[in-house]
Amino acid sequence: MKGRLTALVVTALVLPQAAEAHLVVSGMGPLYDGISHFGLSPEDFLPVIAFGLFAGLCGKAQARWSLLAFVPSWIAGGVAAMAGVALAPMSISIVTAAIFLIVGGLLALNRALPPAWSAGVAALLGALRGLADLSGIAASAAHGLALAGMALGGFVLFALAVSITLPLQRLWMIVAARVGGSWLAALGLLLVGWVVRYGPVIH
Amino acid sequence: MRAFLAACLFAWLGFSAAPVCAHEVRPAYLEIDQTGQATYRVIWKLPTMGDMAIHLVPHLSNGWLEQPPADQFVAPGFLVRRWDIRTTPSASLSGQTVAIEGLADTMTDVFVRVRLPRGQQTDAVIRPEQPYFRIDLANGRALGLPTFLLLGIEHILTGPDHLLFVLGLLLIVRDRWSLIKTISAFTLAHSITLAAATFGAIQLPTAMLNASIALSILFLAPEVVRAQRGGTSYTIRHPWVVAFAFGLLHGMGFASGLASLGLERSALLGALVLFNVGVELGQLAFIVLVLALLRSFRLMELRWPRPIAQSPVYVIGILGAYWTFQYGALTFGIGA
Repeated sequence: MKGRLTALVVTALVLPQAAEAHLVVSGMGPLYDGISHFGLSPEDFLPVIAFGLFAGLCGKAQARWSLLAFVPSWIAGGVAAMAGVALAPMSISIVTAAIFLIVGGLLALNRALPPAWSAGVAALLGALRGLADLSGIAASAAHGLALAGMALGGFVLFALAVSITLPLQRLWMIVAARVGGSWLAALGLLLVGWVVRYGPVIH
Repeated sequence: MRAFLAACLFAWLGFSAAPVCAHEVRPAYLEIDQTGQATYRVIWKLPTMGDMAIHLVPHLSNGWLEQPPADQFVAPGFLVRRWDIRTTPSASLSGQTVAIEGLADTMTDVFVRVRLPRGQQTDAVIRPEQPYFRIDLANGRALGLPTFLLLGIEHILTGPDHLLFVLGLLLIVRDRWSLIKTISAFTLAHSITLAAATFGAIQLPTAMLNASIALSILFLAPEVVRAQRGGTSYTIRHPWVVAFAFGLLHGMGFASGLASLGLERSALLGALVLFNVGVELGQLAFIVLVLALLRSFRLMELRWPRPIAQSPVYVIGILGAYWTFQYGALTFGIGA
């Protein structure tokens, strides 16, 4: 199985294919299409909320640096995808599963990271999500305003998630956040199983 | 910190209106009215600003609108075209497709109303992402009231001028009580003029109205700077007065979203109430989002470099000035 998984990962990364996802149509212009896309795509909003909650649990400095690292790296990832480093559907599925696992795991474990590490994980999360998001959108739909909307949506969602856990370190809230993290990690595991058995989840 | 938030919101507001214009998203209106067994009257109302109009051309798949209109005239804020169609009694509208050329390149909508002699009516909203509509008289129905609620929400969220003004107010107010008074005053004021303008009691030329709204944004910019520097003024001490005064203008701007729909007086009240509720919901959502983000930034103790922190208010001022000159020029017929 391990060999097969490795082969799948390598194949997916080496053989990029055109992904044919599309933006959500909000009816209110491309900026809102981008915001809606971020707000209505679980592969986007779940890890961002989870990592925002985790950063809030870690403390002010971690939350601050993570927020500042997330959006620029998301944009960088998106630009890289538009410049031709686009991921194939299989790669996007694997990246999504890995992000669910890592971010969900971090939140479930609730071990505070140093600010630099926290910012590093946020940057990685942003870059991978930006890469995956822009790889999944047909080039014709990659409107600049939609991309700005997606980045803005991510920024707002992250900031709001931080503000949930940062001020109130009550036990029930920490437990609830950690349970949520464990579910996200479990979802990541399920995704891995699905990808190995049936192929890419995101087309 | 507040200023950075304003920068983010500014990006949102600025980006949501491309090309830069202060809220020219009034819908166009197409009415197809069967006046006899084999006669139809088609009315096309295209929103205009001074002598300028966005490029929208209606087409009907049976070719009726390809002939020159029987009449064409300019009404306040609109270019109106009328076709009088004479056809055969067997000709039916059902199954025909209305397509709007140029709509896909805009962020406005087109309201379509088809009326038959027996009181049968079909309404539809054609949007840029699907700039056509197939007429189905068997299953057609009048525009539901929830549509007006959504129209109200859409009208304020896609209107950078209104949101910029609300943002300016939020940057000036200093405490919760002042915030509640200011937002309530703005809401009350724009509700009054929204109703009055929708029922035709008051009216301002569109360009002059937009110039005045732009001026309200321009007016707020230096007040925000003054407030951020710890200064004081009548506006800073009593922002609710300014909110009320300029809110009267903004309400007339909101009314433009309803005015073009050609609604009967009997249907107007329900539409007006829901449209206004939609506007309030959109405004409330915006305010809650701003306050939630401010709280988040405060909790994280985010401090931004001065140039970043100061830039939004200057950009708000620049946009306010740009729109003021743009619509001022249109008001006086300069460069139109």
